[in-house]
Amino acid sequence: MNNLAEIIAACKDLAFDLDFKRAKQWKEEKANRVVVGYLPIYFPREVIHAVGGLPVAIFGGGDRKQIIKGDAYYQSYICHIPRSVIELVLDKHTAHFDGYIFPSICDVIRNLSGIFKQQNIGKFVKYMDFPQNFLPQVGGVFLQQEMQHVVDYITEISGEKLTTEKLNHSISLYNTNRRLIEFIYDIREKYPWRLSIEDVYHIIRAGTVIPVEEHNEILEKVCAFIDQEIGKPQDKIKVVISGAFCEQPAIGLIRAIEEAGCYVVDDDYQLGSRMIIGDIDDKTDNPLEALSNAYIKQSQYSSSIYDISNPKEYRLAKIVEKRKADGVIFASASFCDPSLLDAPIFQNAFDRMGIRYIAFQYSENINQFKVIKEQVGAFSDSIKLWEDEPMTVND
Amino acid sequence: MKERIYTMGVDVGGSYVKAVLLSYDHENGQHTLIDKQTEKIRKRNPKDVVVEAVDMILERQKLNYDKDISYLASTGEGEMVEKKTGHFYSMTSHAKGGIFFSPTAKTVVDLGGLYVRAIKVDSRGKVIDYKMTGQCASGSGQFIENISRYLGLAIEEVGDISLKSENPEVPSGICAVLAETDVINLVSKGISTPNIVKGINLSIAQRVVKLLGSLGAESPIALVGGMGMNKGMVQAIEELAADNKKKSFEFLAHPDSIYSGALGAAIWGGYRYFKLKEKQPELVNA
Repeated sequence: MNNLAEIIAACKDLAFDLDFKRAKQWKEEKANRVVVGYLPIYFPREVIHAVGGLPVAIFGGGDRKQIIKGDAYYQSYICHIPRSVIELVLDKHTAHFDGYIFPSICDVIRNLSGIFKQQNIGKFVKYMDFPQNFLPQVGGVFLQQEMQHVVDYITEISGEKLTTEKLNHSISLYNTNRRLIEFIYDIREKYPWRLSIEDVYHIIRAGTVIPVEEHNEILEKVCAFIDQEIGKPQDKIKVVISGAFCEQPAIGLIRAIEEAGCYVVDDDYQLGSRMIIGDIDDKTDNPLEALSNAYIKQSQYSSSIYDISNPKEYRLAKIVEKRKADGVIFASASFCDPSLLDAPIFQNAFDRMGIRYIAFQYSENINQFKVIKEQVGAFSDSIKLWEDEPMTVND
Repeated sequence: MKERIYTMGVDVGGSYVKAVLLSYDHENGQHTLIDKQTEKIRKRNPKDVVVEAVDMILERQKLNYDKDISYLASTGEGEMVEKKTGHFYSMTSHAKGGIFFSPTAKTVVDLGGLYVRAIKVDSRGKVIDYKMTGQCASGSGQFIENISRYLGLAIEEVGDISLKSENPEVPSGICAVLAETDVINLVSKGISTPNIVKGINLSIAQRVVKLLGSLGAESPIALVGGMGMNKGMVQAIEELAADNKKKSFEFLAHPDSIYSGALGAAIWGGYRYFKLKEKQPELVNA
């Protein structure tokens, strides 16, 4: 992988490898290695890494997996990702996974963990509750206990014990990973033409299915390439995308948004990789506490985090301000409760704050984007040509 | 600041690539259409067709893209225009192009290759409201093209032949697939070519007039897009609209109406050029 195009092509293959071949290969390289699948949004991958495990994100089958069995498990008015996850698992795409973690997002994902348990899928299934109380001595302690449960499951399989040194080392590797990803976003804030959002997506998603050490190497190379002046700037508006934190849109939709006249300067795709803002303390005597403190004090804005003293709409508005974005696109998965419930809150707040936005819904398996392209194109033009005028209903 | 600039607009549609070169005098706000080029895509890569159309204009006008063109604006399938400075949504471009051809228009109807779209506009070309046909192929330029091919006509002939009709036969106005079958039946029944063509034009015109009604269109109405050059289509729309007791419409057609998208994009490109020159000079060319 000597040039950017080759790196992106390799990441593209990894990102949408529904057989998770790299994880399988990694497991076979050494005895007692443990592969742990986790669903969106966020799981502190450091704890899996520290006890000899490989955390692998399961984002569903997207538009690349036909759903037959999955539909038997869920009603028609439920989002798409749980169906495709079930389909992947029942079709043995994840046969080499030892365990599964279901971070708390919504009822659908909670029920999905129940289905996994009923079907005896994997050696362990953990529904990971995240604290809604943001006091370190209450929610923080609870989160540490939840992480310890996961460690115990993995240790039972791998025989590898958690030590302070190992966890600090894992935290340090993921700190590097987050810093490099943030560097990419910072470059895109100023020079979004150097790397398309589609490419960014592939690069980050690749990192969720391979060891962090390998991903850091890839990111180092990408950062070196985009730190130079490459590509040709175009006259586009800058937008922040919100609402896609769990069920990922088809890659064609992500591409369509930029083709329709926008540069996406921030987003919540694969939010787990960017959930913690800044470094986590990696020189501590209590790294589990450092991880829980990071979640409580340094977590990114997300629809699944309900921190009453730090309202989401203002956190999103801050991202818009930081990235100097011209507007926001609320792109929510159909039937996604957290996202759709947030939308009116955001819209009311943004109307007051004078932030321009549009909203639409998608499903991971939809790959016709003409209508969305028209909506985004009209939004882009309304800002480029009529930015001094209030938006009308049809803008 | 330069007083006169050149901008280009490229409209990549379903069947044709349309490109224009425009000059803009910043002092008096005057746009002048300098050159234009239409290229049929056929089975070629649209990206190559775009390059060909742009290069033909530049060569004819002895201009250099990097030195002379201040803004190249794409519209339609914009991703096919690799050299573009910026992209405008096709409705935005057609609305502006319609106002350029017919400055008094209050509604612009884009009679395109793949759909028909009625757009209410203000005097600056800003889109106020719109209605468009669905995704099926009936009521589109592509449909007329298919029919003309079945009848052995060149697309340019269709308008004049339609004007010769005395007793038009209207096929199914609902579905292009069924209408094509209808046309085969009409031919085998011995219906004359002008009557078949006029019938086809009337079936599409019915949709246009319905669209205008549902939009609450205001007159005058500019007819733009490829089908706007089809005199038979313009006549059919005028005839059906005249039967509408509720409202009388004045229609404005232009022989260059196929270029409305490219032209609108080029005009907006000029507008953006001067805005960017102040805010982000690195984005503009000349």
